[in-house]
Amino acid sequence: MANIEIDAPGTSQLFIGNEAIARGALEAGIGFAAAYPGTPSSEILGSLAQIAKKMGIYAEWSINEKVAMEAAAGASYAGVRALAAMKQNGINVVSDFLANLVMSGTGKGGLVLVSCDDPSAISSSNEQDTRPIAKWLDIPLVEPGDFQEAKDMTKWLFDLAEELGTLCMLRSVTRIAHARGNVKLGELPGKQHKAYFDQIHDLKNVMPTKFMPMPSSLRHFFLHMKLDKARDKFELSPFNRYVGPDKPDLLIITCGSCWLYSQDAVKALDLEDKVGILKLGTLWPLPEKFINKHLGKSQKILFVEEIDPFLERSVMEIVANLPSLSPHPTFYGKRSGHINAYGELNPNMVIKAISTVLELTYQPRDVVYGNKAEAVAKSNVPERSMTFCAGCPHRATFWAIRNAIKLDGRDGVVTGDIGCYSMALGPAGFFQVRTMHCMGAGAGVANGLGKLGQFGFDQPVLAVVGDSTFYHATIPALINGIYNQSKFILVILDNSATAMTGFQPHPGTGMTAMGEPTKVISMEALCRSLGARVEVCDPFDLESTTATLLEMMAEGGGAKVAIMRRQCELVRAKKEKLPYKVHVDAEKCIGEACGCDRLCTRIFLCPGLIWDKKTGKSKVDEVICNGCGVCVDVCPQGAIIKEAT
Amino acid sequence: MATESKGCKELFNEVIDAGLCTLCGACTGSCPYLVYYKGRIALLDNCTRMDEAQCYDYCPRTYIDMNAISQKIFGAQYGDSEIGNAEEVLIARSTDTSITEKAQYGGVVTTLLSLALDEGLIEGALLTKTSDDKAPSPFLAQAVDEILQCAGSSYMACPVLERYNQIPKDNGDKLGIVAMPCQVLAVAKMKANPPENRVNIGNVRLVIGLFCTWALSPHNFYQFLKENLDLSKVKRFDIPPPPANRFDVFTASSKTSFPLEKIRKFTMPTCAYCLDMTSEFADISVGSVEGIEGWNTVIIRTKIGAELMEMAKKKGKLQIDKLPSANLAHLKEASLLKKKRALNEIIKRSGDSNNLIYVGLSTKLTEKILE
Repeated sequence: MANIEIDAPGTSQLFIGNEAIARGALEAGIGFAAAYPGTPSSEILGSLAQIAKKMGIYAEWSINEKVAMEAAAGASYAGVRALAAMKQNGINVVSDFLANLVMSGTGKGGLVLVSCDDPSAISSSNEQDTRPIAKWLDIPLVEPGDFQEAKDMTKWLFDLAEELGTLCMLRSVTRIAHARGNVKLGELPGKQHKAYFDQIHDLKNVMPTKFMPMPSSLRHFFLHMKLDKARDKFELSPFNRYVGPDKPDLLIITCGSCWLYSQDAVKALDLEDKVGILKLGTLWPLPEKFINKHLGKSQKILFVEEIDPFLERSVMEIVANLPSLSPHPTFYGKRSGHINAYGELNPNMVIKAISTVLELTYQPRDVVYGNKAEAVAKSNVPERSMTFCAGCPHRATFWAIRNAIKLDGRDGVVTGDIGCYSMALGPAGFFQVRTMHCMGAGAGVANGLGKLGQFGFDQPVLAVVGDSTFYHATIPALINGIYNQSKFILVILDNSATAMTGFQPHPGTGMTAMGEPTKVISMEALCRSLGARVEVCDPFDLESTTATLLEMMAEGGGAKVAIMRRQCELVRAKKEKLPYKVHVDAEKCIGEACGCDRLCTRIFLCPGLIWDKKTGKSKVDEVICNGCGVCVDVCPQGAIIKEAT
Repeated sequence: MATESKGCKELFNEVIDAGLCTLCGACTGSCPYLVYYKGRIALLDNCTRMDEAQCYDYCPRTYIDMNAISQKIFGAQYGDSEIGNAEEVLIARSTDTSITEKAQYGGVVTTLLSLALDEGLIEGALLTKTSDDKAPSPFLAQAVDEILQCAGSSYMACPVLERYNQIPKDNGDKLGIVAMPCQVLAVAKMKANPPENRVNIGNVRLVIGLFCTWALSPHNFYQFLKENLDLSKVKRFDIPPPPANRFDVFTASSKTSFPLEKIRKFTMPTCAYCLDMTSEFADISVGSVEGIEGWNTVIIRTKIGAELMEMAKKKGKLQIDKLPSANLAHLKEASLLKKKRALNEIIKRSGDSNNLIYVGLSTKLTEKILE
């Protein structure tokens, strides 16, 4: 990670978008930052946590997004500038608090919420657009169009949030969050003020301070007044600007990374003198007067934005309230089908939209060359499917789960949710997972399935959750299952890391975001205290893990817990040498013949094992193999040999 | 052998899911996909072998060419005898009381195995062993006292051949197998078409087949017993010959009897389709004798079987006598009756008298019965 704390105003640093946001928060004098990891947002808190001690701020990986936001609000109430960051899914987790927070208002310290959206759901379960929540919550929303803006907007947003006394939101997307660019640094502020929760704080200085949403109608009215103030400021904001001819053939209205795509597209088409771009940085409330000024410029208006038609619909609302534009322009975008209403955009898509609207023919490259280039590029890419790492304990766990379910013979159902183990929907986990929604949902869904006995339901139910997910959102579902006697097994895949997002600590790891040792919240002690039967298995011991699961499936009663405990292989491999040196005895390997049918490289699919087409035998890829030795127990011929190192 | 080889998918379609599986264990043990668990065969994952799927080939409920197997084992086509190829039919009992106390009837199987092991004819015997609480499981006995531990019948199906399949191919130990007729048939199929990547079938030097009218489901029947008895105290089970019509359970001091009607529902459905009462492809077949308590009927079928019996006689291990002709006639009648019933059931199932499912049409005997 870059040095976001470097004290060199005026110099340029190469930052990813998330680091730029973190730097912006530092420049704004942030004192408190909280987040739950989630791609593409994780580096915001990650970079702040790294320098927190040095910079005298506090940063934490909270148990979930709701607690992160609530904790940040607490800091704000004591006059400390605070930030909460999350990915789009987290916005849903925190939305109940948000709907009340906007009514109660924030404290003396400015409070900023950062949401990083993931168009095309590259690292997500969905591609939810979080911009509309600002409209729903009546809060100011901004979106940076580049890395400099990511920093500058964040800093500026704290001032705005403090001035208005309301939560402000910054939305970013993967291509801003994770792309890298130059950022010119500003000044870092001095020391923090003393934090103090002012008990008496009202206009006459007599009423006790109360942060609450009631009386709600009155507070709703005040909230709208704050929004009007924000709109007035946004009318003059330098984050909104128009670049292009006075009377363009086409006016593009865009925001965020789509602004970059739009600029590229216009340049590629050589249409700088014909197409104008209205780039908006303050997305809610929209600067109506500023937009009005530009709407009459062209007869053709194209909205370029990702996922939802947020700008398109919001601008249409403005248009509906305008004295009619004459002649009335034609609007293009998602409604007209010129821009996809799903997935990421890219410059080519924008080029295509512009070309269609302006009836141009544009060929980005020669078709024959394009096909050739694609074929050559593909020839160098090894065939790979999404899979668990070599030596990943999850592979062993799902092997045991699959075997237990098949042996049990009652067509057991596995419910799952978000984490590396989501890959068990596919071949990596032998297609065992059947449901996947949000954090903790697997356990919730299992609660329902586990209560269907009276309808003749006899299928065993296993809910798989990661360790971090367990703390995040599974505990209420487990309590519900124990209390209401729902028959399911909660299988906690405890690899002692929030592995998918980059090994952030969680309450089971004994380490805080700032690197301080802390009390481990023992998941088995917690589950036992709830009255659940708890078994701790070593997933690498396939036989006993399978036997334990089989026995738990056969047992009656309510929710039970099986903890599959093995450290994430990536964490282990960084600290220790390989436990085993593994090789295949080619004499014993029978390859595709009856009695094996290439079990290890066709079904087990550890990337450490490779199939040698020439010899018709399996081999160990010594570079990739992490030496866990599990495949030794999987090979039916005893052809895989491990030697202790 | 089989005219067309199929894979485990067909094994499930035609046998396992069709309720025809005998739980012999021929398909499990050396296959990572097929696993025996609590009275059923589970398919753990998808196997793509279609051209040489030994699970399908060696199943005693897939197509059987009786003539080819008979040719391989007896050097002759399958004949028209009701009890299969029989060199000699005798009655015998062990002279060792420590055996007869534990064993079923005359203790011939235990005596012959112990002798074969002592004489180095075999180095291990694949048997069914019951646990302390009488759950049957396959067992490889390598000493006489281990053989003795396996004496007695549980009447429950047990995948003995699974244990056999687990023996590495490069293990040269000479083996004896004590098996039910379905298992004897599976071994005969292996002999006729030696398996690859599994045990060396040449190691199997002695097959002692048991008489069988039907077997009980090892899961459901066991649950029934567990609910009705303290199984840890049980010493022995017995189904005495007709007309007793009961299932006896002996403890050290008492006997509990269940009428056969009560336990018949626990019989393996596949047994209704079985033509073989006397383990026709064994070296020696052993069963009870109606009306002569404490003795076994012994059918000597092969040269190996004959030599072993001769040795047992010479060494005074067995007391041997002639089977009274009325008993022989009755044995043949019972065996034929099983064949008739089974063929009837098979035709009822296939709905076509020319479709005998797994049974090859071309034996003199089946043709005779069908006429």
